[in-house]
Amino acid sequence: MEPVVVINDLKYRYRGQQEQALDGINLCLNRGEFVVVMGPSEAGKSTLAATINGLIPNFHKGKLQGSVTVMGRDTQKHSVSQMAELVGMVFQDFEAQLFSTNVELEVAFAPENFAVERAEIKRRIDENLEYVGLNAVRRRPPSTLSGGQKQKLAIASVLAMKPSILVMDEPTTDLDPISKMGVFEITQRLCKREDLTLMIIEHETEEALSADRVVLIDHGKIVLEGPARQVLQDVDAMQRLGVMPLGIPRFFKTMGWKELPLSPEEGKTAFQSAGWKVSQAKYDQMVAAEHAALDRLNKPLIQCSGLEHVYKNGAVKALDGIDLEIFEGDMVAIVGQNGSGKTTLAKHFNGLLMPTAGEIIINGQPTRSQGVFKLGQKVGYVFQNPDHQIFSETVFDEVAFSPRLRGLPEDTVKEYVTQALEAVGLAGAEKEDPFALTKSGRQRVAVASVLAAKPEVLILDEPTTGLDYAEQRGMMNMVRHLNEMGSTIIFVTHHMWVVAEYARRVFVMKDGKILLRGTTREVFSHGEELREAFLRPPHFVEFSNSIGHTFLTPEEMVQCIEGAQS
Amino acid sequence: MDAEIYLDNNSVIHRLDPRTKITTFLLTFVAILLFEDPIWMLPVAFLVILQLLISGSMRNMRRIRYILIVLTISSLVLWNLFSSGVTPLLGFLTVESFSFAIARTMLMILMISTGMILISTTRNEELVLGMIRMGLPYRVGFAISTALRLVPTIASSTMTISQAQQSRGLNLQSGGLIERIRKFLPLLVPVFISTIRSTNIFGMALESKGFGAREKRVSYLEIHMRPIDYAVIAFGVLFVAVSIYFALNGYGKIPNLTRF
Repeated sequence: MEPVVVINDLKYRYRGQQEQALDGINLCLNRGEFVVVMGPSEAGKSTLAATINGLIPNFHKGKLQGSVTVMGRDTQKHSVSQMAELVGMVFQDFEAQLFSTNVELEVAFAPENFAVERAEIKRRIDENLEYVGLNAVRRRPPSTLSGGQKQKLAIASVLAMKPSILVMDEPTTDLDPISKMGVFEITQRLCKREDLTLMIIEHETEEALSADRVVLIDHGKIVLEGPARQVLQDVDAMQRLGVMPLGIPRFFKTMGWKELPLSPEEGKTAFQSAGWKVSQAKYDQMVAAEHAALDRLNKPLIQCSGLEHVYKNGAVKALDGIDLEIFEGDMVAIVGQNGSGKTTLAKHFNGLLMPTAGEIIINGQPTRSQGVFKLGQKVGYVFQNPDHQIFSETVFDEVAFSPRLRGLPEDTVKEYVTQALEAVGLAGAEKEDPFALTKSGRQRVAVASVLAAKPEVLILDEPTTGLDYAEQRGMMNMVRHLNEMGSTIIFVTHHMWVVAEYARRVFVMKDGKILLRGTTREVFSHGEELREAFLRPPHFVEFSNSIGHTFLTPEEMVQCIEGAQS
Repeated sequence: MDAEIYLDNNSVIHRLDPRTKITTFLLTFVAILLFEDPIWMLPVAFLVILQLLISGSMRNMRRIRYILIVLTISSLVLWNLFSSGVTPLLGFLTVESFSFAIARTMLMILMISTGMILISTTRNEELVLGMIRMGLPYRVGFAISTALRLVPTIASSTMTISQAQQSRGLNLQSGGLIERIRKFLPLLVPVFISTIRSTNIFGMALESKGFGAREKRVSYLEIHMRPIDYAVIAFGVLFVAVSIYFALNGYGKIPNLTRF
């Protein structure tokens, strides 16, 4: 095996920071290998990625010790542009890394920089657009593409340099499930290419299954490294690190099984060979309890009938005849592909958008007669990106913004802010600078700033995007707690496991219509229809479906198994 | 949201070489600046409006109509205050100051229009390429096009941010002037910060794609000067030459106008 990237005792500290972002990394990437790097937020994953093409230390200044050598070139002695012909880099933010006005020119940009002949550039455009499946849109401006298409374009534009190493830093984090699959399908093909070494930073453990090697890092150090199967079977280590362990090995581990299966197919085979059975009585009992709990919610809070929305200058109906009822105390997930109308629907719930036809009634009154200012007191809306709303110098001022605007006396404001910060687990952080917090910290500030207005309903748009597994759990546990305290929760998400474990009811949207609705269990038992909406249940749920029952978590499945020797 | 400035209309003007359009743009500026009498500005105004109509750029002018209205009103008021004449019109207004105010307003609107025509009909890459072929260094051309490119990005993030703050109870429609200005702080800070964040990634992506890797850069896009381009430039030069001739001979001035 021929090493193409050699990282030798690498230490790095960002300028102005106390802590080492990387603290003694030793890693070799071999020709044609596919390596997935995982780890919690702030572990140093992106920093590691940025050292490979020399962005560190050439773009981000700081103190670097040790060395990174790529095909014999020391990154410290070459500029990023010079490294670029060896190492291609794809970033998470697909908006910011595209800068041309049409798809072809975007792919042409990199070869142009390397003074490749025009005929060859043309050939590379054709080849790479074909490869990622964007041939049909080659004359469109990138801004009109969907998120998934943009990320595919970013990959094509980097491949056009014919790099020997491709580094992707969380390429799918901001994508919906189907776009994720599209990008993964491309990486599947890429990793078969023997001339290309692939390193991907990824949060989605299910996608690490096809890697040759998985590297787990934490606090700038490699904590676990090995063949993908071996690392992914180490469920405890992953959990401890705050990386999402796979549900299937988790289940088998709890059941005391030795050789842990990873994929749904392996799981099914192992389950059958173990001779276990699902107790129908226990399963029915669990489902009945679930329905009984939902039946207790009977006070309708949001009612839509024939709701339609057509955007200005828009030809298609973004919402097309939505009928739904959401009850007080419910915890509802809205899922669907990008552009299916999820966010448009959610924005009707607090009056940001008004229906162009049909009706939406909240607390017995049409939203049109209430308006966003009045409705905002009842219905809080947390936007996807906390950086789109944080502006104050202290956490306290940020959270106090909404209650102050509503003219509450300062004593009450203080009381509400304290309560809101407690609810999100940030008690005592009043004096901190919100911009200095981590992404999950800023996300919590955003939630608190909405909670402080004491809304009865809380809408969260993608509350878990950009957070690591432990932070996602923390966020959703907090949201569940709010629900238990009486708030009605509506969340929009791409993370199917979050839906599986936290939602009580689910609406699946497609093309502005509700395709599927019901309890979470009912919805996830319809694998076919979900696929139609370009969604896919988590591996664990797929596995349980394949043995005839829908289980949402390994824990509840363990409860219902009989025939196991304990 | 559709925030692109470039309009993919493929009009005659779109098909012109970017160098022709940049030249026309510069010539128009000269022609606009020559006269202070609005009557004498009518020919150039006619040509600019003709271009607006042919290229379909009116759509973009309509998008900034509120800014244009505010500019028109404030310019009419200010130029009346900053100049005076001898023929009374109404109150303190004089015929001279009034026509001068109209001319200055036309000047401003025409400058905006001709700039808008250029960027509505020319792709970013073409503009850069045109500027480079006209002698500008690549990095400078790229910087200009990047600045233009930021406009739609900032516009769309401003939309989202404004919705987010409205959901938190910010009401931009109420309050006095000072209070309204203060209310823009919750919009400006996030717009600023998110723009800086994305510019940072933009810079990294740029370097990672080999920006400036070679001395000489190849352009995939090709531009050609065709007969129509030469014809347009010839007409433009002739038009400006004639205008200059008249201006030098004292035409197009407003007699008895005093500017402060």
